Amino acid sequence: MFKYLFAKNEDIPAGSSAIFFGFSSIVWFVIGTGLGSFNAAKLAFPDFVTGNEFLSFGHMRQVHVHAVIFGWISMAFAMAMMYITPILGNTRLWSEKLGLWNCFLWNLGLTLGLTVLWMGLTSGREYSDFPWVIDLYIASCMAIPLAVNVWMTILTRRTQGIYTTNWFFAAATFMVIVVFVVGNLPEFFHLTGLTEAYLTWWFAHNVLGLWITPVAAAIAYYTIPKVTGNPLYSHRIGHLHFWSVVVFYSTPAAHHLMSAPLPEWLKSFASVEGVLILVPAIAFVSNIMLTMQGKWNMFVENLEVRFTVTGCLMAIPLNMQGGFQQTRAINWYIHGTGWIVAHAHLALLGFSTFLEAAAVYLGLQTLMKRKLYSLALGNVHFWLLLIGFSTYWISMTIAGLIQGAGKIYEVPYIDVVIAEHPYMIARWVGGTMVFVSNIIWLYNMWMTARAGTTVPAGRMPHEMAYER
Amino acid sequence: MAFREYKIGSRVFGLALGGSMCITLFFPSFNMREAVSTEIALDKQLTTGWDAGWNLSDPFMQGSNKPVRVWLESEGQYAYVYPAGTRMPNAVQHPDNLGAIVEKLSMEKGQLAKAAEKGRSNPDGAVFLIDIDQDSKQPYIEYATATRGWNAADVLNAAADENVQHIGAGKSMFVREGCWWCHTLLPEQTQDWQVFGAPPMLGDFNGESPTAFGSDRKGPDLLHVGSRNASREWMMLHFFNPRLVQPHSIMPRFDYLWGSVDADGQKIDFDKWRADYTAYRAGQSPVPPDVPVPAKDSKARALIDFVLSLK
Amino acid sequence: MAWIMTNPLATTNTPEQNERDKKLWESEDLGGITEDNNRLPVPVVWLLLLTTLTAFAVTFPLWGQRPTAGIYVNYIGSMDDPKVTSAANDVEAMKVLVEMHPDSASLMQSQLVRHPVTMDELRALRPQIEALKNGDDSGIARPCARTSSDLHDYTIIGTSIVCANFEGNFLKDQSGARIPAPDGTFLRQRQQPWWDQGYTIDIFYVIAFFAGVVAVVKRLPPSSWQPTHGHDH
Repeated sequence: MFKYLFAKNEDIPAGSSAIFFGFSSIVWFVIGTGLGSFNAAKLAFPDFVTGNEFLSFGHMRQVHVHAVIFGWISMAFAMAMMYITPILGNTRLWSEKLGLWNCFLWNLGLTLGLTVLWMGLTSGREYSDFPWVIDLYIASCMAIPLAVNVWMTILTRRTQGIYTTNWFFAAATFMVIVVFVVGNLPEFFHLTGLTEAYLTWWFAHNVLGLWITPVAAAIAYYTIPKVTGNPLYSHRIGHLHFWSVVVFYSTPAAHHLMSAPLPEWLKSFASVEGVLILVPAIAFVSNIMLTMQGKWNMFVENLEVRFTVTGCLMAIPLNMQGGFQQTRAINWYIHGTGWIVAHAHLALLGFSTFLEAAAVYLGLQTLMKRKLYSLALGNVHFWLLLIGFSTYWISMTIAGLIQGAGKIYEVPYIDVVIAEHPYMIARWVGGTMVFVSNIIWLYNMWMTARAGTTVPAGRMPHEMAYER
Repeated sequence: MAFREYKIGSRVFGLALGGSMCITLFFPSFNMREAVSTEIALDKQLTTGWDAGWNLSDPFMQGSNKPVRVWLESEGQYAYVYPAGTRMPNAVQHPDNLGAIVEKLSMEKGQLAKAAEKGRSNPDGAVFLIDIDQDSKQPYIEYATATRGWNAADVLNAAADENVQHIGAGKSMFVREGCWWCHTLLPEQTQDWQVFGAPPMLGDFNGESPTAFGSDRKGPDLLHVGSRNASREWMMLHFFNPRLVQPHSIMPRFDYLWGSVDADGQKIDFDKWRADYTAYRAGQSPVPPDVPVPAKDSKARALIDFVLSLK
Repeated sequence: MAWIMTNPLATTNTPEQNERDKKLWESEDLGGITEDNNRLPVPVVWLLLLTTLTAFAVTFPLWGQRPTAGIYVNYIGSMDDPKVTSAANDVEAMKVLVEMHPDSASLMQSQLVRHPVTMDELRALRPQIEALKNGDDSGIARPCARTSSDLHDYTIIGTSIVCANFEGNFLKDQSGARIPAPDGTFLRQRQQPWWDQGYTIDIFYVIAFFAGVVAVVKRLPPSSWQPTHGHDH
């Protein structure tokens, strides 16, 4: 990578930045889920590793969250953008050199930022925990270069039309910059009190709604038609999906603070909009499922399709939870409990991770022109990830319902802690399975680069999945 | 599918996103601006100082550059002491966050503008008080250094140690040590209130940063914890090793906040303590080892001061 | 950019523009991906309609989730009833009270079930509630900006009564003007409103969205036409 940082743009092989982003994202996924597993062990067994400030739960929890969001998810997104955007415009990435610098600065900045968080240096605002100097770095050295590369690639495309995936990429890279800068205004200008609290959740909601959800969905709009060979079922539903993301997903921030003294009208507005996030969800799921018509055999046979469709199917419970758990009728029961933790993992480790993993599998094989080293290990990765995640999700959902019931019946809190203990152990077991599955994945992809069978020109790697 | 469609599409996109931001940011900003500080908010703002999260006046989050709250027995009220060099509270630089009437009272009766003249570096130190205006019944900040000629160092020197509370430094510890990952500062709707107390009202956290409401609760809400349990001794044991007072707790040990020496200046032997504790858990010793009393300037002392201040 | 409104349900584009779009649609290679032009399936249209209606219906505060100071008022009113005073002990007395008010103002019934109360608590609450009904809030823990005799403006926390933390609609006087509060702001309703400007904005917002999406989709060639995808893709 370093030898290309100062090379001429023309001398850099196409796809280099996507490959580096892809491997970086897997490495951060291993780190992030490793930290998650370690943290879960501490919740199950509080005296597991004590006495060291830097191995205490309060110092490591946010490192897990940010390693996964900024490392795994966002770098996998960058990887997908750097390889899918040019393909859909029948062109090359606008600047491989910018892409490589972006990848380098991203890894550097994330390492720095996570070190700072690890020391406990935090703004104290959930999801925007980074101190504002790191925020400025993220905006200027991570988000903006990525956006410039994506926009310029789309502007210099060799097609007249822009495919649905690229609408999402272009809009999301723009929106995430807006969301990031506006959401961190309290730190830049020292806004305080209710404004600070509200903007914290405005950011936290919109970074999910305008970055993670639409980009993950956009990836599926590429993966499924590409691998199955079916045309996308409907261009029109793509429009419904895109516009409803922009209109509805950007509004329900206040539903995170239903018991705070925000104006009630804002909560009413946010709550109705919160249910309406089902509109993009319905559009997305129906479009992908209908595109699968006639190719459902690939759900069983093909690894990328299996990952993508599993992720799409998870969008159904995800959005049913997300839409209804925030209404006044339900929120008072489950807010602040493990239910929400389970829901957040359904969004990030379920829905979005499965869609991205497919893109990283497909992209790395395509760009390196190497067939996956071992399909068996790929299958092990899939099932360990799915079973590990499910264990986590189910145990935390039950734990959350216990917490909710504890609230209702005014149970002393310590009894809730005792009742949750078995589920905390299950959470740790599930999280550890996810961690192990990612180590296997990293090994598999590394060996694909080193020893994968070469894919001849004109063929897709997945076509050769069962050839020896 | 000429280029024209995309021009129109981009404008519609701008309109849609702009409309959404207008409703979710611009409209509510009018409501939020109207919030008037309550007495609770003034106390929180003056105890925690400029900011309890990462900021340039405390870049390593050691709880430095923070005010202390001092109980004045003679006056029967608290003084908020900003020793020389301590960054002034938010209200000095941004008095509009107090809310219109409280800002007016603080400026006119409390002479707060004179504190702003000192600049944010606060070279001479400052003392603030919270008073209630008899006519309007509204609270306001009094800059006692100007109104009564009180000197920060004098107030601090005259106070007994048990009357000095390092709440600002403690809130920094609360943020740095990630307490808010498991403890909310926002009692939930309905039943929660019967156990954890009243939810905050509008105006109860004007000028506070970060509010650290928290979202993911693994332990009890702490907004009113000081009202439920005011025992400094209990807090000390609980922070050192929560299992000493609550065998089923999953809270981490915060013994490392004690630093190297205890209140008597004796070196704390953590290895021995852990060995003794292990022996106690194994049933080899009938009583657990004694928990050292934290030193005056230790992080543990500050954190305990903060938690006990949450009334 | 002409709008042809002769058959708006199919397309609002001119035939020439549609022909150009169709030709481009069929000939262009978007990285080996092609798109069909299917309409939204009818069941999905119904699902979206149901979702929109549900979004409003489920958000209306039809069942007040938060207990107000008004929920025990019937119990307190019957505390001196001979059937209650003659009960053997407090537990029995409380049972008698609950039985005396089986449907204690039906809407509050669910709250009463979730918030059981004891005789001791009722005794502590009684003087505060009776004073509040007479417009005297001097005895309560945290009064509202303006004393209200409507008990639903207050919340019960244990045995103390505080002003509810709802920032509801602005209260209006007879001329329709907002009423100023002592702290210079305006008085707000301390109850969850059944309707507020949030819902009004929502209605306009949803209508604008669906109108916009329909307009966008109807600028495409009619859905009766499907592109034929060649093998070169």
